[in-house]
Amino acid sequence: MMHTPERMFLWRRFTLREGILLGFCATFIILARAGLRLHLHLPGHVMFFTMFFFLLARGCVPKTGSATLVGLIVSLASFLLGMGTKGPAVFVKFLLPALLVDCAGYIFPAFVTSVVACVLVGSVSAAVRALSDTWIEWLSGMDTEIVLQKTIITASLFALYAGLSALAVPSIIRRLQRNGLIDQGEDEKR
Amino acid sequence: MKKPAGKKTGHKLSRTSVYACQYMTRDSLVHQLGAGWKIAFCTLLSALAVGARTPRELLALVAVTLIYYFAARLTPFDLWRDIKFFVYQAVVVISLYCLHSGLSKGLWPGIRTSVQVILFYIPGAVLLRTTSTGDMMRGLRRVVPYRLSFLVFVSIRFVPFFFRELDEISTAQRLRGARLLPRQLLDPRNWGDLFHCLLLPLMVRALKTAEEVSLSAEAREFGRRKQRTYFDVSLCGEPAVRSPDKPQPVTPPLLQPCCNRGQLNRKV
Repeated sequence: MMHTPERMFLWRRFTLREGILLGFCATFIILARAGLRLHLHLPGHVMFFTMFFFLLARGCVPKTGSATLVGLIVSLASFLLGMGTKGPAVFVKFLLPALLVDCAGYIFPAFVTSVVACVLVGSVSAAVRALSDTWIEWLSGMDTEIVLQKTIITASLFALYAGLSALAVPSIIRRLQRNGLIDQGEDEKR
Repeated sequence: MKKPAGKKTGHKLSRTSVYACQYMTRDSLVHQLGAGWKIAFCTLLSALAVGARTPRELLALVAVTLIYYFAARLTPFDLWRDIKFFVYQAVVVISLYCLHSGLSKGLWPGIRTSVQVILFYIPGAVLLRTTSTGDMMRGLRRVVPYRLSFLVFVSIRFVPFFFRELDEISTAQRLRGARLLPRQLLDPRNWGDLFHCLLLPLMVRALKTAEEVSLSAEAREFGRRKQRTYFDVSLCGEPAVRSPDKPQPVTPPLLQPCCNRGQLNRKV
């Protein structure tokens, strides 16, 4: 069967199908946040699903910018739905880890199929997310040592949850690839 | 009949806020302001919060921020909802300061920075509490390209759909023996079931739905042109009454760029 080339829909990079799929990953993050905010009260637990879907989005659409697009959609949707307790700072909160996932994907495109790489990228990206609060505290004139201590506690919790969820990503990606549901993404370093 | 918990009747404002930064329908001056003005005011107050250092500056800013908050006819209960997280954080920060510099030296800097952080976020909370989703979407359309806003609205539109899907998959998998009950998921040994019995089928469903939605949109030529297009029914002629004796001519639907709000009722 002949395959006609798909028309690019967004930023000359993503097709409409890919865009919608990434939008759905954002939907899952919103669902997880909405569900978790009512039930659990553990600090940092929200990164469990957030990082999982960022990594999964990168695995399902192996193109540079896919995680960032998910981050952008989640921030806009959270802002519209009034889900961000931090107002417009919600953009930094989601875009920062998403950008890191994309950077990792640019350097090592196949990282989503490796458990070690996935855990490393997930943990580091989630830990960096703790910086989104730190810069406000630092600008407010908080003592550097206090800022550092608080950031270390927050970042460790974020990294722990993100690392745990990242463990499951490679097996899911491999299963989706084996069944031909997603591209292999071997030469997608764009 | 029993009154719902947490609600007051009569002339007093109802305490209906379920979560932080939830939009509240009120008739206030702040509600009537445009989203752009509110964003500008939010940015200004947040910047002042970061810059405030002396107790006098901080007190003045607390007063202004509270006036702005209560001018939106929001209640102290709403305020508590919005700043609850930061109050807990303030306890940690003040404790760290006291541990680090001693009670006498560490108390004021701890209080100051905690208040600054709270003041930084309150204007954002007012923005979210006083601006409806519709107003935000209208504002968003002016700033964000229509293709991106389409993806945002699709992701919001599919929240209830995937919520139902999640519920159905979860029920089916539980019947097959998967350990997916909330109390079972508290045990990390059951997290494998969460990923492989719930999130994997959900992802497969998402892939299939994305395919269907994109095909449906592309069949209507969505995203063909740079500008937003709409389906102009007036160019298709009069609505035809189908009769087997007299076949009606079919005019192909034309795609026109959006030009005014009146023509937006039949968007593609």
